[in-house]
Amino acid sequence: MKSNGEQLNIPYSKNRKFYRAKKNLFLNWQLYVFLLPALTYFFIIHYIPMYGVQIAFKDFIATKGILGSPWTGFDHFERFFNSYYFWRLLKNTLAINFYQLLLFPLPIIFALMLNELRNGAFKKWSQTLTYAPHFISVVVLVGMLVAFLDPLTGLVNNAIVALGGESVPFLTSPEWFRHIYVWSGEWQALGWGTIIYLAALAGVNPELHEAAKVDGATRMQRILRINLPSILPTVVILFILDIGKFMSIGFEKVLLMQNSLNSETSDIIQTFVYETGLLEGQYSFAAAIGLFDSIINIILLVIVNQIARKTSENSLW
Amino acid sequence: MLKVKKLLLLLFAVPLLLLVACNNEDETSAPEMDKEAMENFNETGYPIVDEPITINFMTRKPPTTADDYNDVLVWKTYEEKTNIKIDWGLVPSEGFEEKSNLSLAGGDYPEAFYTAKFSDVDIMKYGEQGVFLELNELIDKYMPNVKQLFSEHPEIKKALTNADGKIYSLPTVYSPDFTSMTSNIKPWIRQDWLDQLNMEMPQTTEEFYQYLKAVKETDLNGNGKADEIPYGNNSVAGLIGWLKGAYGIGNKGRKQGFVDLDPKTNKLRFYWTTDRWKEMLEYINKLYSEGLINKTIFTMETNEYHETGSQGLYGSTVTTSPETRFGRDEYVGMPQLEGPHGDKDWVYVTAPVVHKAAFVITDKNKNPAATARWIDYFYGDEGAKLFFMGVEGETYEETDNGELEYVDMLTDNPDGLTFEQALRPYITWLGGGYPALVQSDYFKGAENSPASIEATKKIEPDIIEETWPSFPFTVEENQRLAALKADIEKYVIEMQDKFIAGEEPFSEWDKYVETVEKMGLEEYMEIQQAGYERFKES
Amino acid sequence: MKNRGLSDKTFDRINKLFVTFIVLIVVYPLIFVISASISDPGAVSTGKMWLWPVDITLEGFKRVFQNQDIWTGYRNTIFYTLLGTLIHLFILLPCAYALSRKELKGKKIILWFILFTMLFNGGMIPTYLVVKTLGMLDTVWAIVIPNVVGAWSILVARAFFQQTIPNDLVEASKIDGASDFHIFRKIVLPLSLPIIAVMALFHAVSLWNQYFSALIYLSDRDMYPLQLILREILIVNQMGLEEGSAGVMESLVEQVKTASLVKYAVIIVSTLPLLIVYPFLQRFFVKGVLIGSVKE
Repeated sequence: MKSNGEQLNIPYSKNRKFYRAKKNLFLNWQLYVFLLPALTYFFIIHYIPMYGVQIAFKDFIATKGILGSPWTGFDHFERFFNSYYFWRLLKNTLAINFYQLLLFPLPIIFALMLNELRNGAFKKWSQTLTYAPHFISVVVLVGMLVAFLDPLTGLVNNAIVALGGESVPFLTSPEWFRHIYVWSGEWQALGWGTIIYLAALAGVNPELHEAAKVDGATRMQRILRINLPSILPTVVILFILDIGKFMSIGFEKVLLMQNSLNSETSDIIQTFVYETGLLEGQYSFAAAIGLFDSIINIILLVIVNQIARKTSENSLW
Repeated sequence: MLKVKKLLLLLFAVPLLLLVACNNEDETSAPEMDKEAMENFNETGYPIVDEPITINFMTRKPPTTADDYNDVLVWKTYEEKTNIKIDWGLVPSEGFEEKSNLSLAGGDYPEAFYTAKFSDVDIMKYGEQGVFLELNELIDKYMPNVKQLFSEHPEIKKALTNADGKIYSLPTVYSPDFTSMTSNIKPWIRQDWLDQLNMEMPQTTEEFYQYLKAVKETDLNGNGKADEIPYGNNSVAGLIGWLKGAYGIGNKGRKQGFVDLDPKTNKLRFYWTTDRWKEMLEYINKLYSEGLINKTIFTMETNEYHETGSQGLYGSTVTTSPETRFGRDEYVGMPQLEGPHGDKDWVYVTAPVVHKAAFVITDKNKNPAATARWIDYFYGDEGAKLFFMGVEGETYEETDNGELEYVDMLTDNPDGLTFEQALRPYITWLGGGYPALVQSDYFKGAENSPASIEATKKIEPDIIEETWPSFPFTVEENQRLAALKADIEKYVIEMQDKFIAGEEPFSEWDKYVETVEKMGLEEYMEIQQAGYERFKES
Repeated sequence: MKNRGLSDKTFDRINKLFVTFIVLIVVYPLIFVISASISDPGAVSTGKMWLWPVDITLEGFKRVFQNQDIWTGYRNTIFYTLLGTLIHLFILLPCAYALSRKELKGKKIILWFILFTMLFNGGMIPTYLVVKTLGMLDTVWAIVIPNVVGAWSILVARAFFQQTIPNDLVEASKIDGASDFHIFRKIVLPLSLPIIAVMALFHAVSLWNQYFSALIYLSDRDMYPLQLILREILIVNQMGLEEGSAGVMESLVEQVKTASLVKYAVIIVSTLPLLIVYPFLQRFFVKGVLIGSVKE
């Protein structure tokens, strides 16, 4: 670690650290100016409202405001933990997220493949087309799933029956919910997910490839030894950030796919919050559960970041 | 490091202080009507105020209504009549919940909320705090129409009264004699199939079963395919709502979805764990497992339901009206079925007060009396006529036999607009949730079509006499109840579907009842009981 | 290029085959939506329409464009998106770059300061009050500012800078007396076109699709973005299912049918502009070659 300060010959003293910091500030003040707009923004728009977190420990009454509402301590948390459904909700939420995490490599692989296409119409079109489904709303997506998977008229079941199988009630069986949810999500998001990796691949130094070609490396070898390692830092960062959002699943799609018969696996924390929140406008209860999610997220984030730092050079901090 | 800590402390402390500071906003004093306002105000007759005043509202705006209510015929007319101008504060309906909460939290809420649909919990919370004005006195003094409504139908007053004995809100209310509206979801059957099968109209659950079976086994539409669906729907709710009356449960109407009055003991009961409930589920399970109900009933989307319906494949269904939904006229209404124990009640009827808080006046209101008179109008005949039908000669005409009819320009628009589109510049009731009295004479909505009225006649003799509104609970009770509901009600609904679909065998019934009890049924019933007693006494 | 062995050729073929396969799978919903927007809704909901349009009708689009507000909506959304994206980049890029530099002290605290906002937030009500206090209600700033940049983008962009900006180059320039401002403008930005394009795209798309801020912060209809108008159209066409809310008679059957047509048409109306813009941004993803040339 070489920093500008160290090159200067400063006698050791208690003030050295302080002096170095000052020196650093002086030398690199422009970098700190770069930070200013963002930090001001975060402070005003995110930190000032942060006092709202306390709503989770209060019984929110709109006219009394957040600060004026009466404290309830951990009531909302207790209510959540004591709910009959708590374990089921937690289990399902975790399961869906782990499942989704398993598919994390898919867009990377697909991006590597797209990157290997030589420039031309095919490359351009395949990128544009694969990114488009991202914009299909969940209502429509679920509508399509319902149509395709209908036990009587659906395409999929018709095919199964035609092949001599028996019609499967996909949408009402708990065993199928996770697969359908996660894979239909991947179906929609795959192309969109590649964008960031394609950008990372664009940053790979072409000299490396030239050198490898001279050494007689095959395409496959170059992908594995040059492209993949080059985008690895991005991959790691994205993975860690994904973990930071681990507990949050968009409830809308789950809600649309949910019914009493599959709720054994489809009931997740977010839909529970939505249903109970909607029922009574319980801001405080919803906030308490949100806080619970955040705490799990932060724990996971720290752990994963630690692992990443130990095993690779890359980590968030 | 110390510096950093200090800095962090500062970072967190500053915003807190800032917000403490700006939260102590002006404490609004209770709205004493000042002299000036009172002098301007007329207790009876029109205009309501001599000098024009403006009252600001926050209004839930359904997308079907006009973008500026002050351009709407009904409101222009009414403004001229009353001298009161409304600043509507339109908020798109999907953002209303947040917006109204934000305005209450930010202290800049309006003088009144219109088409608000506040929950019972909110009414109680804000009423207790004095944000929503208590209306009892205002009703007594300045709201003759509401007062008359109360004296004609005391159940409406009961439904509006909160746990503290006060009224804070004005409702969307269906006139109790408008049965085609209060029982708007009805059972329907294909008359031509009955004829083909040489069957009489089913009168009992057993006969209904026989009909369904016959439909299943016969190629009634003669296309050589067994594509007839004996009973089709996109939810089991309608079927259950109808069958409950044949099993003697849920006997206090649709607003009380979980408790009713045990006819034997005359006590409040949770009917989802009774033997009758079990019997009913067994019956429906029989229909389901024999393929007499569409297997997709739990997942089907409304569109598909309508589409299949429009192909005429359903032998029977429960809906508002197959004529308007499917565009088929072969369906006729069915009577209430008689169950195995001789029960025959139509219980799928809603209490007259459908939205308890369609309108509230807040403590910011400078002219509560004028506002009260302003809104009262719509709970009387004249106001209802204006609100739903518009202005005679412009939007409606009276026929020779005294019936009101929209003019042709609206029903058969020359520019090809649909009825709803054509109505937009004239009225604002499309979209529902409005504070007004809905009567059959003035309401020309879907529920008042001839087929609906015909079908209503069939069930009319069996309609239960008393329908309960939701019970009045205190804020604390509501809180406790919310938690219990989230477990118990969620669980029983889930199990209901599982029993019907055969995912859960009936041998597990006892375990089911036990689980419900473990979830705190006793406490749940204690709270319900408290609310019930309060309701009875109010 | 001459040296491409046999295995490379087969690799090419297999790769192309795989990509084609994935494209076909992924593109299917797209075709479905387009077909569904002009097909008889009955055929769609019963599964008769599964690839190509059946009984073509333009009623859905007619309904969408019947609403005059849609053009104001387009105009507003384009304006919000452009302005918002510009400000986004202006805040994001310098910050991410500064954080990527080794000589910046106190990085860990700053990173946590930023990361923390991704994990915790004060909720809607206090944020609203801040926006209100700043006087941004009913202005374009209420749409553009509250989500102008997120921890996620900063951290991802930072990782990119760390990786693609050669440290030697920056240090050499510094020794030559170049200021950080200068380096940022002349070296960093030109080298970072791919990430700038991606970040702009991501933020533009989220601005394009957002409607909730508008719902909360705007009360003037003339300022409504496209998505809010489209949602209204969508809901209008699904009306009539709530009791006591609908008009009369026959229209309901037709109405329900148009409702599903509108559902698909709305997607096309709202995404088409984004699909058109994408190929232009795509060019920047291959600009990585520049690295070599700047180094010289």
